[in-house]
Amino acid sequence: MKEKTDKKKKVKILTKEKVDLQQLFKVPSMGLAVAGQSVARTDARQKVMGTLKFGADYAQEKFLHGKILRSPHPHALIKSINTEKAKSMPGVMAVLTAEDVPGRNGFGAIIPDQPVICSDKVRFVGDGVALVAAETEQIAQQALERIEVEYEILPAIFDPRDAIKEDAPKIHDKGNLLSYNKLRKGDVSKGFAEADTILKRTYQVPFLDHAYLEPDMCMAIPQPDGTMLVEGPMQAPFTTRRNVNAVLGVPINKVRVRQVPMGGGFGGKEDSPIDLGARAAVLAWHTGKPVRLALEREEVMLQTCKRHPMIMEIRIGAKKDGTLLAFEGVIYDEQGAYASLGPIIPPAGGSHIHAMIMMAGPYEIPNVKVDAYLCYTNNPYGGAMRGFGAPQVHIAHEQLIDELAEELGMNPIDIRRKNGLKQGSATATGQVLDQSVGLIDTLDACAKAFNWDEKYRQTGYIDKTRSKRRGVGIGMGWYRTSIGINADGCGANVHVHEDGSVLLFSGITEMGQGSFTVLPQICAEELGVRLEDIRYVVPDTDIVPESGPTVGSRSTTLMGNAIILAARQVKESILAAASEMLDVPADRLVAKDRLIYDTENSVNSVTFKDAALKCMQTGRRLIGQGWWTPPKPSLDPETGQGNPYFVYTFSTHMAEVIVDVETGEVDITDFVAAFDIGRAINPRLIEGQIEGGVAMGLGYALMENVVVDQGYIQNKSLRNYLIPTSLDVPDTRSIILEVENKYGPYGAKGIGEMPNIPATPAVLNAIANACGGRVRSLPADPEGVFRAIREAGGPPDK
Amino acid sequence: MSYAFKDYQWSKDIAIKEYLLPRSLAEAFEILAKYNGKAQVIAGGTDVIPRLRHRDLEVEALVDITHLPDMSGIREEADKIVIGGLTTHRQIAASPLIREKAGILADGAGCLGSPQIRNIATVAGNLVSGHPAADTSTPLLALNASVTITSQEGERVIPLTEFFLDKGKTALDCRREILTQIRFAALKKNQGSSHLRLSKRRSLTVAVLIFAAVVEVDHTQNMIKAAQIALGPVAPIPLRATKTEAALRGAPINNETIERAAESVCRESNPIADPVWGSAEYKEEIIKVFTKRGLKKALKQAGTPVE
Amino acid sequence: MNHVELSFKLNGQDISIQILPNTLLVDLLRDRLGLTGTKTGCRQGECGVCTVLLDGDPVNSCLLPAVKVAGRSVTTIEGLATEDGRLDIIQERFISEGAVQCGFCTPGMIMNAKALLDREASPSETDIKKAISGVLCRCTGYRKIVQAVKSASEAKE
Repeated sequence: MKEKTDKKKKVKILTKEKVDLQQLFKVPSMGLAVAGQSVARTDARQKVMGTLKFGADYAQEKFLHGKILRSPHPHALIKSINTEKAKSMPGVMAVLTAEDVPGRNGFGAIIPDQPVICSDKVRFVGDGVALVAAETEQIAQQALERIEVEYEILPAIFDPRDAIKEDAPKIHDKGNLLSYNKLRKGDVSKGFAEADTILKRTYQVPFLDHAYLEPDMCMAIPQPDGTMLVEGPMQAPFTTRRNVNAVLGVPINKVRVRQVPMGGGFGGKEDSPIDLGARAAVLAWHTGKPVRLALEREEVMLQTCKRHPMIMEIRIGAKKDGTLLAFEGVIYDEQGAYASLGPIIPPAGGSHIHAMIMMAGPYEIPNVKVDAYLCYTNNPYGGAMRGFGAPQVHIAHEQLIDELAEELGMNPIDIRRKNGLKQGSATATGQVLDQSVGLIDTLDACAKAFNWDEKYRQTGYIDKTRSKRRGVGIGMGWYRTSIGINADGCGANVHVHEDGSVLLFSGITEMGQGSFTVLPQICAEELGVRLEDIRYVVPDTDIVPESGPTVGSRSTTLMGNAIILAARQVKESILAAASEMLDVPADRLVAKDRLIYDTENSVNSVTFKDAALKCMQTGRRLIGQGWWTPPKPSLDPETGQGNPYFVYTFSTHMAEVIVDVETGEVDITDFVAAFDIGRAINPRLIEGQIEGGVAMGLGYALMENVVVDQGYIQNKSLRNYLIPTSLDVPDTRSIILEVENKYGPYGAKGIGEMPNIPATPAVLNAIANACGGRVRSLPADPEGVFRAIREAGGPPDK
Repeated sequence: MSYAFKDYQWSKDIAIKEYLLPRSLAEAFEILAKYNGKAQVIAGGTDVIPRLRHRDLEVEALVDITHLPDMSGIREEADKIVIGGLTTHRQIAASPLIREKAGILADGAGCLGSPQIRNIATVAGNLVSGHPAADTSTPLLALNASVTITSQEGERVIPLTEFFLDKGKTALDCRREILTQIRFAALKKNQGSSHLRLSKRRSLTVAVLIFAAVVEVDHTQNMIKAAQIALGPVAPIPLRATKTEAALRGAPINNETIERAAESVCRESNPIADPVWGSAEYKEEIIKVFTKRGLKKALKQAGTPVE
Repeated sequence: MNHVELSFKLNGQDISIQILPNTLLVDLLRDRLGLTGTKTGCRQGECGVCTVLLDGDPVNSCLLPAVKVAGRSVTTIEGLATEDGRLDIIQERFISEGAVQCGFCTPGMIMNAKALLDREASPSETDIKKAISGVLCRCTGYRKIVQAVKSASEAKE
């Protein structure tokens, strides 16, 4: 690994020397001018001044206020609903029930199984039973109180294992098993028979909430031409549009959806805007007026999607030298009341199949068997949350590997080095990774920076009274770039103007991760202009090409490639014009920093804008269009074998903790996280993703838990749903490695989700190393750690 | 298990009709009398406003006492510390006098909520909330504080041990009365104190357990002369472990005394399980751990560490 | 409900406005006065994105009945940059250090940082972490925010 330092900001980057990129996305021989730099965000100034308007900041005068009447029961029939009293209130403009939905009374990111307004039954506390629009929010709230609903309570299900029993009450007509998926590689019984050591464990993880600081809201504005405009914070404008049009019963081209600046998303705003957008649109449809539907924080907790809880029963078999031979897993994946982003979109889309694919971890294991059950329950529903099924399974396999290492008397780093995926390895789906596999590089880089060997030797009590004990732990992981469906394409348009300024059209949204900066960087790099010459147009389905959702860590790579293709198309014209102006063949010309020059005589140049003007004057196209789809994904439904995702990002985290063995309190004293992300388009933004993602992962380990009792969420506010504060997060040190991806822009892979994945097991493993207590049912809050120490018979050598 | 309407349909506003700022105590009491139970006192508001929003509290008017004169300030009167009813948590936490002569109160006040909350939340308001996990109740109990309750009828002084009646209920009727002063004896040379708090994260969070102790020792005889041990939330009200305190009077300063005290405090407590904050069994264990650590720390501060 | 007259100083300017008594300061700022830089995230004083300075001290404006600020001085994020658009050093460093991601907590963070740096010339990293411990951030992990505030304090010297 060669080390370079980003000049603008002291971010250390390690680059693998040998690179063999596809011709299309290669780094130019003179290096990168705009991409690869830690430039400031394009929207930072407005954000620090407080002038950027988020959805709730929009002036409210012209809007009616919409509110949703929800079910107070987890499972019940609706016997009757009477809206007369509510309708007759002055200031109430609409009170709607199920029959008022103009089109399809169902929405959903994958399966539209969630009613816009429930007609015959409710399936979770939070299900929508009526909609109200009124002149003020107070009147709307009072109207809700006057709607009379009669329920007949039904027996409810709160455990996915109960959901699939013979006599379980049906939540949906088609039954409670939403999806059963299996993976079969090799022969696990043979593998286990050959194993010297077999370990069997069960790990359990709860509901989690995204807790983005901006509560959800949506605005629906009927347009003079009869179309419906829906705008608000959202990650998936196209998915939102194709739900709203169906709900309104109009063709897709009669709905326009637009992203408004987003105060965090993390996957939650992939489908909550579908919910609010469809409902606001129906209210706007009926009243003919703009409607604003905004949720209070407690309503966000109640109504929007969560991270899927899972029960993972896994078994691992290994030789005594640590070689993994067999892995067997059963996943009970709790979907909750509605399908959201859980079910499969063949071949490998949806969070459930993704979890199944990732269950065995980033390891070479010849025999793997996974059975994964996705079950409806009458609890809040699971959707996309940063990692999409991967965080849960990492908590299981990384802890199991550590428990196995302990059993075999091996250093946790050695067992990982021995079995971790390398170039040429086959994954659990039989996918042979032929490029961009930096997993072990991240393990080595992390270990060096963390000083693993020395710290591993120095675990033990740190005080005379023997109440505080230090330990270290590793979490190793991987995450796909892309979403494993055939429809994973990205479209981008680039318009160059005669003064050299550029418009970039893309449907990738900005939720803080930096897409509105990174994607223009790629565009500027490819065109040979400066970042400030590019304006990224707001993602508006009327204006930008189909781009897919901003999820799955796909944006930089997939959209980056589409942008390069679009920019190349325009550049053909620019170079052709310059070639004429300079009387030099186009293939000798290079565009950089607003100049186009002859590589054989660099003083011979024209400006980009003069070349653009020439194109304009001579009728040459200044519009570029790019469309990029990843290599076709595949996954056999019977065996789970195939190539579901075309490239993976790899990462290793190491944590040092001090556990108070008498109270179970955990203090994280050191944390290092290393990533192979192919190519860093903006190193400082990547660091930001790493530091924020690690904090989120630590929250999962130590404190986050949506407590649900009989379908009722017990902690609906930020007061009792705890996310890390500034005093809870260690000083995370980031290491960025570049093992280039031949399918990515200049070699880039995704980063959005990876950082929050290995952080959780790194901390859990460090806790176990420190105090002997293994927390297999999260969170590892003080009581959880205390109990784990008790279960282990007390802390080590007390 | 079920939800009331207000638990699943949330408002953004607070439903009051009047917000009044009297300039004198007399004026304040006049307004409260006029509203005859339909108005209540508000100081910092960090407790009252969320309760109003959730419709846990319903009043027509709020009577804001933050402009009343002569109600802030921390001063020493002979061997007593006197704190005005409008003193904020931040003022307490930053006060050199409190830090020196009643450090556990500075510690406790500094744990509440966040810097923004501590800037306006008053210690009096914290007591009046009647919450067993209130951050200043436990140290003030350990300091044997008393409070002055003022009403139109006059003043009465109550020891804090008689102030808390039930969860959320105190001897003060906030629709008629104002807590105007808190006082306690400053710690003496032969006294030591400690404050311990367990929480699920390091800021913006209610405590799972708070422990505060003040011990008075006899150096020559190496024994405990007196102890005040306070905890919360281990009962509907912030608790003084009076039985344990009685047993500690005259007890020798050694590990056996500490161990016995830990078991005794645990027996006097009655923590309940909470789905979010934790089980009763866990709290019982921490009560024992904190009693041991807290007593040892206080004894060390008093100059008589346990060998 | 009768309106009441509220007079206070806002970002250095005296203002007088008729409001309903149940108005919360955050809503007065955002809905009536168009200063939407101050955000609402929880309306319970638990997230800090509504932080404004009251006589120089950070407070959660979602918990403050507007009438409370009568005769006092309120500063919001909009009051930091100069009229000709020159940013406060804290704002500059938030940009250059990469301390901004989604931007929703940014005004709350900056206001708390401003109060700290107005009080403390050279705060330690721990001081900074404590000063911002009442504002939640889900995006950044706080590290670059702390670095930005440190950098701003060093620049001010």
